[in-house]
Amino acid sequence: MSETITVENVTKRFRGNDGITVHALDNINLTVKKGEFISLIGPSGCGKSTLLRVIANLIEPTSGTVLVNNKPAAQARKDREYGFVFQNATLYDWRTVIKNVELPLEIMNYPKTVRERRAREMLRMVELGDFENKYPWQLSGGMQQRVSIARALAFEPNILLMDEPFGALDEMTRERMNNELLRIWGTIGNMTVLFVTHSIAEAVYLSTRIVVMSPRPGRIAEIIDVNLPQPRGLETRDMEEYFHLTSRVRHALREGVGGS
Amino acid sequence: MAESARKDLQTATLARVENPPQDTSNLRVIALSVLLIFLLAVLWESSKAFARSNNYALNIVGGSVDLTFLNDSQLPHLGDIARALGEPAQRNGPPLYQDLAKSAVSTFQAAVFGFFIGGAIGFTLAVIFAHSELLQRGFLPYVVASQTVPILAIAPMIVIWLSRAGHTDLSVPFIAAYLTFFPVTIYTLRGLTSVPETALELMQSYAATRREILFKLRIPNALPQIFTALKISATASVVGAIIGELPSGIQTGLGVAILNFSRYYNQSPPRLWATILVSGLVGILFFSLIALVERLVVTWRVPGNE
Repeated sequence: MSETITVENVTKRFRGNDGITVHALDNINLTVKKGEFISLIGPSGCGKSTLLRVIANLIEPTSGTVLVNNKPAAQARKDREYGFVFQNATLYDWRTVIKNVELPLEIMNYPKTVRERRAREMLRMVELGDFENKYPWQLSGGMQQRVSIARALAFEPNILLMDEPFGALDEMTRERMNNELLRIWGTIGNMTVLFVTHSIAEAVYLSTRIVVMSPRPGRIAEIIDVNLPQPRGLETRDMEEYFHLTSRVRHALREGVGGS
Repeated sequence: MAESARKDLQTATLARVENPPQDTSNLRVIALSVLLIFLLAVLWESSKAFARSNNYALNIVGGSVDLTFLNDSQLPHLGDIARALGEPAQRNGPPLYQDLAKSAVSTFQAAVFGFFIGGAIGFTLAVIFAHSELLQRGFLPYVVASQTVPILAIAPMIVIWLSRAGHTDLSVPFIAAYLTFFPVTIYTLRGLTSVPETALELMQSYAATRREILFKLRIPNALPQIFTALKISATASVVGAIIGELPSGIQTGLGVAILNFSRYYNQSPPRLWATILVSGLVGILFFSLIALVERLVVTWRVPGNE
């Protein structure tokens, strides 16, 4: 089976402290194949981050099932099948850069020499090899996110879940990071990426498929295939098809908010 | 490849140039401390001189303020205090400063002992409370209540209980511990539970055990707060030790000296003041020691503390 992630009839309701129920996700169905790069895009409150966390088993759905690599999401989490990248880099201030990358490897009981070697390799892959003994606060935002990506990939999962990882960065850094991410994705074959974003341009540039979500309640409004040629590059953003796709996404977003 | 690495170095360097660290070199700090001590001494002597020249009364609008507290009996000259340190307090005894040094060591030892015991108890309580909301809700109020009872009332009781159990020598450290554990509990609890949501989710994504989360996330996250508490507890343990000596009947210690010199105050007022100064010094010393350890342990920048 090449289905890596299967989301079936997932609904999530939150009960707030004030007694009001938030209908974060309503009957979500989604299938992701191995090696795809899927963007989840939508306005605030559409449930995209919630969906990502349900898939990651960081949140339990109110109803419905999630299968990851043919296991229930909870088991996939216990088996460490995915790496998670947050919007703020979430590096631990008291650890150096290399120790931060080693964190998952410590928890997964890798022997010390293997840990160090892996961590160094990953830092070299994100081009931060010279910064291994620096502390997070000595790095810029973009560099911190690269460390976060290195950490997420340190234990070689074949699924990467990313929650608006470049949202806090300026536009130029974000474009650089987009290219970095595509390069890494290309280097590691067969990696499935689920990428939550606010940015239409980012979604179109990076993905093989875009899932447009609409809010209140969180639903999938439309799924758009992105057939732009690989590998993506500067010229991609000049293509007519790129422009058409961004328009399609924009329309789908507008309809998602206006309609339903 | 090299190009992007160079760009990174530029960005990181730029970040430091635009936000330079403050210039608080050690030399400046020491110079400032010396200046403050000097100013305090000037204030001390000049207010005494002022009061004496005005017959220890200050006439202001509405009446006169009594300044007798500045006379030589109630606030001795700094020179007299220094002289008292050099002279024996008992007939044919050693100079006062030697006596006080011995007392200071005795008190300090008890304070340190109590500090470690209280710190350990406070830390353990915080870890328990951090993991069980039920226990926290149930017991924290009693922990708080324990501190609102005046220690002067409890100290004699503790001495009696411990001597009945055959451990009178533990009464002073015990009372020091009693004043120590509370700040450690409160601040450590705060530090253990104030972990950012995503930092916790990160651990959960690794299917980390509660123990791993405690040792790899919560405790390191709490260290700055813990050291804040330890600095408070350092001085609190010295106070606790001094107070604990009063009902304990032990022979040496700053509390004992304070008791003696206040009982016989009029024989030589400067002696009590000398003892007070030494007590303050012990507190400062302990505090500084903890602050030094903090600088060695907390090597990272804490957001909001820069």
